[in-house]
Amino acid sequence: MFRRGRVFTYAALLSVLTLVGAACSDDDDSSGDREADGSEEAATGGEGGDEGGGLLAEVQDRGTLNCGVNETVPGFGLVDEQGEYSGFDIEFCKAVAAAVLGDAEAVEYVPLSDPETRFPALQSGEIDVLIRNTTYTASRDGGEGARFLATTFFDGQGMMVRADSGFQSIEDMNGTTICVLAGTTTELNLATRFEAAGLTYTPLTFPDADALGEAFGAGQCDGWTSDLSQLAGQRSAFPEGPDALVIFDDAFSKEPLGPAVRDGDDEWASAVNWAVIATIQAEEFGITTDNVEQMTSSENPDILRFLGQPVAAEEGAEPAPFDPGLGLEPDFAVDVISQVGNYGEIYDRTVGPDTPLGLERGTNAQWSDGGLLYAPPYR
Amino acid sequence: MASQTAATRPPPWRDVRILRVAFQLGAVVAVCAFLAYLYDNLTANQRALGIETSFDFLDQQAGFRIAYSDFSPSGTVLEALLVGLRNTITVALLGIVLTLILGTLVGIARLSSNWLVRRAAGTYVEAVRNVPPLLVIVFVNSAFLATLPPIDDPEHVAGMLLTVREIGITVPQGDAGFWIYVGLLAAALVGGVALARWRTTVEERTGRPARPWLWGGGPVAVVAVGAWFALDGPIVLSHPEVVGRGIEGGVAMGLPFVAVLVGLVLYTATHVAEIVRGSILAVHKGQTEAATAIGLSTTQRLRYVVLPQAFRIAVPPIINQFLNLTKNTSLGVAVAYGEAMFVTRTVIGNGNPAIQSILVVMAMYLVVSLIISLVANLANRRLRLVER
Repeated sequence: MFRRGRVFTYAALLSVLTLVGAACSDDDDSSGDREADGSEEAATGGEGGDEGGGLLAEVQDRGTLNCGVNETVPGFGLVDEQGEYSGFDIEFCKAVAAAVLGDAEAVEYVPLSDPETRFPALQSGEIDVLIRNTTYTASRDGGEGARFLATTFFDGQGMMVRADSGFQSIEDMNGTTICVLAGTTTELNLATRFEAAGLTYTPLTFPDADALGEAFGAGQCDGWTSDLSQLAGQRSAFPEGPDALVIFDDAFSKEPLGPAVRDGDDEWASAVNWAVIATIQAEEFGITTDNVEQMTSSENPDILRFLGQPVAAEEGAEPAPFDPGLGLEPDFAVDVISQVGNYGEIYDRTVGPDTPLGLERGTNAQWSDGGLLYAPPYR
Repeated sequence: MASQTAATRPPPWRDVRILRVAFQLGAVVAVCAFLAYLYDNLTANQRALGIETSFDFLDQQAGFRIAYSDFSPSGTVLEALLVGLRNTITVALLGIVLTLILGTLVGIARLSSNWLVRRAAGTYVEAVRNVPPLLVIVFVNSAFLATLPPIDDPEHVAGMLLTVREIGITVPQGDAGFWIYVGLLAAALVGGVALARWRTTVEERTGRPARPWLWGGGPVAVVAVGAWFALDGPIVLSHPEVVGRGIEGGVAMGLPFVAVLVGLVLYTATHVAEIVRGSILAVHKGQTEAATAIGLSTTQRLRYVVLPQAFRIAVPPIINQFLNLTKNTSLGVAVAYGEAMFVTRTVIGNGNPAIQSILVVMAMYLVVSLIISLVANLANRRLRLVER
């Protein structure tokens, strides 16, 4: 009697479990399908994305932007003892927040100093945008499901050694140990550069710049290779003073750094892209945080259109703000420039010649000054 | 049940023997279906996000180097992962041997009647056992290894060459005639063992001391010394030396390797020590009393009565610690040791699909852990207490 009772209980339990399980998996299935459908829709029908309820609407509903940043690179992304983030990449998070939400401070920073964590964070939707000195490469665009937008910083890879080491160039560094961040394009370029020169080396690869800096300071490696901008940042913050280190002139790779978003949401990608482009365009127009108010009553129709001020589309037509259909407020550029600034202001404030990093504009100057910054026309 | 005849058997849906099998089958099917559902869900979501779902990346060029290995950037991703696996196994095997030795010594020391030895062992165990293993590894690395002298100014300590890059150890190395020497020694050993066996049987038969050790060991010692001089020193010491920016000669170990090995051995040995101590205490007091009563000395009591029983109690939990040590090697990431998890992270960071890479490394850890547990369980089966 007892045994039969137990079997019966098991059977009852199992059938209940099965039912619950089926119900759950049905649920999961349908929601999973819905999600998949949603992103496919966004991927194929980006134009009519307004009613799709994409990431742009989600971020605006949420009221904050989740921005994936690096918190260990002085000048580009660094968090201080008070938990305040500052740096070049951080300014662009603020620019995107200003454009999308109208408030540059409405940013939730997600620290991603470990390079391996950045794409999974983007894919999983933990962050809305990745602005973390990330190089635009084909395999990241393809395999990682990331979409790279306007380049904010044109960088190249370099090598930093101790000033008293006696190394003059990479050719002197046969058989040395080189510190490098794991899982970066830097690591791959390093292998290529040494291979090409016929030199051997031992890579010492670390998950983040802090651990790497400690090992370099202790003398565990002869050279530190990274993007030149990052090396300049680390050199400026070196405990023994910046003069103890030398950065070779030889740049051995192209490193276009810029924001990346998840594949499949064109509306969101455009919004982020134009927030960045607005800073570049503003510099070209000579619009700064200080003069943006005066500029809204400028005589130049290009500037009026850019700032979302009423302008006659054609001769004799009723003046109206120009809306390119990006899903942003027509005057989003005013928010960006008044709250964050134009590209030149951001650059000078965080990494420019007057900062500890002391980086000249170089390739990051406007195209009209011989640089690579070239904003597409806003019309 | 057994008394039931075929005529009185219940219908199949109430027959316990059938239901039992049916439930097991049902459970297996349910689990498989659930896993298949998860995998299908995963690939569907990956496709929707435009992420690669195949494992083709394993055959692509890795493009990076791995420290302290001859892996070249033109090798494939799979080869890189296998180099990582090799590094994991190296630390795991060495760690297991060292942990067993250190843990046993400390465990016995905790039961010592000497106050200082007992307290010192107790302090070590309690201090290290109660912190996370990652902390132990990072502490060993930052507090001891990072303070070693630079590569151009190495320090010589007891045959070791200490630098902040690598630690070189002096090791014996075969010279001319090494294999002849090994052959002679092996022959002598075989003969020696045979002689010792014979003398033992003589001792057991006659009851008079027949000195098996002397009979067996004597010839071996004579051959060892005689052949050494005849072959003019077939084994020489290889001393490590700094050449350029690295160490040559002897055995050079990279600092990350040392940090992981020392950190994990220090950590896991505390757990093994507690197991050893507990197992010795678990042998019934009556066993000790009985051994004393029949006149065994303290050493004999431990050697023939207490330790054999304690050892059998200790084996299963110690196997568990071996597995923990193996899995904890993945903490080597923190100190740049190129083990399996480290290589996987590098592979992911270089634009290869994360989920597939993680699945591959999971399979690797599973295989290693299963092999260790298989070997250890076979040993356990031979050693375990036979209950009567």
